[in-house]
Amino acid sequence: MKKANRTGSRFLIGLMFLFLYLPIILLIVFSFNAGDSSAVWRGFSLNWYRELFQNRLIMESLYMTLLVSLLATVISTAAGTFAAIGLYSLSRRKRDAILMVNDIPMMNADIVTGVSLCLFFVAFFQGWGGFARWFNGVQSAVELPTRLTLGFGTLLLAHVAFNIPYVILNVSPRLRQMDKNLVDAAQDLGCTWMQAFWKVILPEIKPGIVSGALIAFTMSVDDFVISYFTAGSATSTLAMTIYGMTKRRITPEINAVSTLLFLTVLVLLVVVNVREAQLEHREASREPRKPTLMERIAGRTNTPGWRWAKRGAGAAAICCFVAVVVFLTGATSSQPVVNVCSWGEYIDEDLIGQFEEATGIRVNYQTVESNETLYSLLKSGGADYDVVVPSDYMIAKLIEEDMLEELDYSNIPNYALIDERFKGLSFDPGERYTVPYTWGTLGIIYNRNMVDGEITSWSALYDDRYAGNVLLINNSRDAMGAALMYLGYSVNTTDPDEIRAAFQVIEDANRRGVFQGRVMDEVFQKMEGGNAAIATYYAGDYLSMVENQADGVDLAFVIPEEGSNWFVDAMCVLKDAPHKEAAEAWINFIASTEANLANMDYIWYASPNKEALEQYPAYYEETYGEELDQETYEIMAAPPEVLDRCEVYENLPQETLSLYSDLWVELGVG
Amino acid sequence: MSKKLIRLADCCMAFDGELVLDHINLYINDSEFLTLLGPSGCGKTTTLRIIGGFITPTSGEVLFDDVRMNDIPPNLRKVNTVFQRYALFPHLNVFENVAFGLRIPKTVEEGGRKRKVRVPEAEIRQRVLEMLEVVSLKGFDQRRISELSGGQQQRVAIARALVNRPKVLLLDEPLGALDLRLRKDMQSELKRIQQQLGITFIYVTHDQEEALAMSDTVVVMDQGRIQQIGTPEDIYNEPKNAFVADFIGESNILDGIMHEDFVVEFFNRKFKCLDKGFAPMEPVDVVIRPEDIDIVPAEKGALRGTVTSVTFKGVHYDTIVDFKGFKWLIQTTDYHSEGETIGIVLNPDDIHIMRKSQYSGMFGDYSSYSEEYDDLEDVSLLEEEEGGDEE
Repeated sequence: MKKANRTGSRFLIGLMFLFLYLPIILLIVFSFNAGDSSAVWRGFSLNWYRELFQNRLIMESLYMTLLVSLLATVISTAAGTFAAIGLYSLSRRKRDAILMVNDIPMMNADIVTGVSLCLFFVAFFQGWGGFARWFNGVQSAVELPTRLTLGFGTLLLAHVAFNIPYVILNVSPRLRQMDKNLVDAAQDLGCTWMQAFWKVILPEIKPGIVSGALIAFTMSVDDFVISYFTAGSATSTLAMTIYGMTKRRITPEINAVSTLLFLTVLVLLVVVNVREAQLEHREASREPRKPTLMERIAGRTNTPGWRWAKRGAGAAAICCFVAVVVFLTGATSSQPVVNVCSWGEYIDEDLIGQFEEATGIRVNYQTVESNETLYSLLKSGGADYDVVVPSDYMIAKLIEEDMLEELDYSNIPNYALIDERFKGLSFDPGERYTVPYTWGTLGIIYNRNMVDGEITSWSALYDDRYAGNVLLINNSRDAMGAALMYLGYSVNTTDPDEIRAAFQVIEDANRRGVFQGRVMDEVFQKMEGGNAAIATYYAGDYLSMVENQADGVDLAFVIPEEGSNWFVDAMCVLKDAPHKEAAEAWINFIASTEANLANMDYIWYASPNKEALEQYPAYYEETYGEELDQETYEIMAAPPEVLDRCEVYENLPQETLSLYSDLWVELGVG
Repeated sequence: MSKKLIRLADCCMAFDGELVLDHINLYINDSEFLTLLGPSGCGKTTTLRIIGGFITPTSGEVLFDDVRMNDIPPNLRKVNTVFQRYALFPHLNVFENVAFGLRIPKTVEEGGRKRKVRVPEAEIRQRVLEMLEVVSLKGFDQRRISELSGGQQQRVAIARALVNRPKVLLLDEPLGALDLRLRKDMQSELKRIQQQLGITFIYVTHDQEEALAMSDTVVVMDQGRIQQIGTPEDIYNEPKNAFVADFIGESNILDGIMHEDFVVEFFNRKFKCLDKGFAPMEPVDVVIRPEDIDIVPAEKGALRGTVTSVTFKGVHYDTIVDFKGFKWLIQTTDYHSEGETIGIVLNPDDIHIMRKSQYSGMFGDYSSYSEEYDDLEDVSLLEEEEGGDEE
C-alpha cells in the first residue's frame, strides 16, 4: 500500500514537471526547426538564430532590455541596500511594519503596478506641463520642456521601483544576521561610519546584495506588464517586442529569442542558487553530511581558478554594459527621429535601414497587437507616436475624435501612385488624413481533404457536417460580419434585429457543437497541422499557412459568394505629432513602388500602390526564379469583381458596439 | 596610580523616556582594574557604552583627563572595547582582525594643519604578531575566525583592542559566552595581561565571583544607580545595603534594632556586634553570612531551629534551617539530617549591620529560595528587551 502510494506520488510529480517543462522544451526544439511552422518539424537548422541576430527590431529591443535591466539593477541595488541599512537601525516594530509594506509591491499584480505607474507618470507630466509653461512665461533664462512623455526615463524609474523591494528583501536578512556590535567594533577601532560601512557592513552583507542584484536583474529582463505600461512609444523591451510580433503568428524567430531569454534567466537563477549554497557550504562545512548538488558545484567553483573566472565574467559583464551604453547613447544622439507604431511582422525591416540611410532620420519602430490596444494607448496619453497604421474603422473613430493630424500631401508625392480604388474610402472620404499601407480580404480557409467538394458559402461555417472541425474567429466584428453576410445583411448594419439574428446563427451552431473553439493565433497551428477543417481568416495569412502545411493537408481559400469584408490599413499622423515632417517623409518613402513591392513580398498582404500591384508577379519571378501562380496572386490581391462583393468595416455607433460586446460575452458564457 | 583618568559626573541616560542611568558619579584611576557589577538591566553596559562613546548621556558629563568627551565619537576616543560575543569581523582572518584598527589612517594636527597618518606595514606586522603572542595565539595569524574556538576568539578580540595601545580597555561581559573552565583560565589571563601592560580595564559582568577575583575596585549597580563602590573585600564584608549583601555572596538578612553601639537585637535577643554610629533603637538590616554560622547541639545554641532541607555542594552542605518561621541558609561541612533540631552560635564579627534601604525585606528568607531564582530568569528577559531598545 505504502509502496503504491510512493509510486503514485512520484508519477504525479513526474507529470507536474512534464507539464511545467514540456512547453519550454518544445519551444527550444522548434527554435531549431528548419521550416517556419510551429507544428511541423522540417529538420534541424540554426537559421532562426541567424535571422534573430539580423532582426533589427529584436536586437534593438534586446539592447534596450539589457540597458534598462542593468541600470535599474545598479540603481535599485544601491538604493535598496541603503534602505535596508536604514531600516535595520529602526526599532523592531517599525522595521517589521515597513518590511511588510515593502512586501506588498512584490505580491501586487503587475498589471496594477503597471497601470498605476502609468497613471502616475501621465498625471505628473500634465502637472509638469502646466508648471513649465508658467515657468517659461515668467522668466526667459531657462527654457523648461513643456511636453514630457513616457519613454526610457519612465521605464527605468518603473524598473527601479519594482526592483527595490527585492533588493531590500535579500539584504535585510544578512543585516539581521550580522552581529550588531560589528559596526560599533569598527568605530571603536577608529573607523568613521562611512569607513565602517565599506570595511565591515558591505563585506558582511555582500552575498545579500549580490543575490538581490541578480534577482532584480532577472525580474527586469523578465518583466513585460509593467514595461508595457511605462515604456511609452519610443522604447520597447524584448518582451514587448515579442508580444508585438505575436499579433500575426508565433514565428520560430520568437522561439529562438524566447529560448535565449529562458536560458539567460536559467543561468542567472543557477548562479543565485550556487551562491546561496556556497554560503551554506562555508557556514556548515563542519557538518558531516552529503553535500547537495548546488553545494558540490559551489565547493568545486570555490577554487582560485574559478574565482578568477568569476572575476573575469564580472569584468566582461561590466565591459558589455559600458559597450551597450556607448552604443545606445551614440545611436540616439540628437538625430532627427520619427516614432512609428505598426503591427508585428508587418514590414520588411530592410526598409527601415534604407530610409534611415537615405534621409538620416532615425526610425523608432514599435508594434502593438490590435487596433483596440493602439486606441487605448493613444487615449491614455502615454504614447508619443508620430505615425500609426490603424485599420479602416479605427481610422474613422480616430478622425471622429479629432486625434489625427491633416496630412500635407505636397510632402507625399508618392500618394499619386496609390490606386484610385483605395482613395477617398468611407473612413476618409475627403482624403485629408490617410495614405493606404496594405489591403486585404477576409475569407474562408479550409482543408480540401476534410470537406466534401468546394466551399463557396459562409453556410459552411455553421454546417453540422463539419461539427467539431470549424474554428470560430475570436473577434466579434469578423465573426458577426460573416454571419451577417450569410444572412444577406450589411456588415455595417446598425439594426439590432439583424445583429441579433446573426448572433442567433452563431449561437445555434455553437450549441450544436459545430465549433471546435474560438481562436486567433492558434489558427495557424490548427490549420497547418490538419487539426481543423474550416476557419475564417485573412488572405495574407492563408498564404503563409499554405507554405507550412503538413503532409496530407491541402489548404484552400475562398471569398464566399455572399461577399466578405475587405480592409485597408492606412498610415496616419497623430494630432500634435512632434516630428510631423519626418513622419511625412516616412509615409512618402513607404508609399513608393519599391517599398510596396518589398512589403508585399514580405508580408503577403496586397499593396495599394498601383504600379507595385501590377509589377508584383514580375518582381516575384525575378526574385525567386519561378512564376507567381495566378491563383495565389488573386488571393493576395483580390480582382476588382471579387472586391465589388466585399464591404469595408465602418466605425459603428456606440450602442451598436455595446450590443456587439454584450452578445459576444453572452456567447462566451453559453 | 591614583590619577583620575575618567570621570562620570551626574550622568543620566533615558531610553524612550525610561531612566536607565540615574545620576551616576564615578571616577576611574589610571592602571586600575575596575568592574561594573550588577544584575542584567542594571545599567552597567549602558555606563560602559557611554564611556566607549557609542551613546551620549541624556545629561551629565563624561570627562577624560578632565576634558569633556560627551560628543566625541568612538573612533576619536583613546578607548577600545572588547564586545560581548566578541564582534570579530568574519570576513577577515585573525591577522587582519587584529590589524584592523592599525590600518585606519589617523588624522593628526600639526601646527594647525590636518594630516593623515598611516602606520607602516612593517610596524603593523610587528605589533600584531607581538599582541598575538601576548594573548597566547602565536601562529594563529592566518586562521579564519570560524576556525577558532570561543576562547581563542575571545583572545583575538582582546588583541584587536589592545594592539591600538588604548589608555583604557572596556570589556563588556567578555567571558559570558565561555564555559566554566575556560572562564576561570581567562580570568587569570586577563588579570595577567592587565598587569603586564599596565593599562586601565573597565570590566562589565553580572558574575560576582569574577568581579571579586579580578578587580581592584568593584562598582555594584542596580536599577541604574550605584549601590556601592569599594575593594572586593569591602564589598563582601561591609555591604552597604541588603541588595549588595544579597548580590555578593549568599546572605541571611534579618530585621534588627540597634540598641546602642555594639548591641543589636533580633529574634527578641540581644547580640554583640562590631558596628556603631546608629541612632538609639534605630531599625536596621542584619547580615549574617551562611559560612560564618557555627552549628552546635541544640541545647548549646544561642538560637534553636529545625533543619528543613540539606543540599550537598561538594565542599560543604547548604543547610536550610527554620528559626521561628524564618529560614536561614547555613553552609557547613558537617551533615545534619532533615528534621533534626540544632542550635547555632554567632560571634560578634559574624554579624554585620546595615542601614535600612529600599531593598530591606526583599532578600534573606530562604523560604523564597526558589522564587529568587525565578526572578533571576525574569531579569534575563529584561536584558533582551533593553538590548532591543538600544539597537
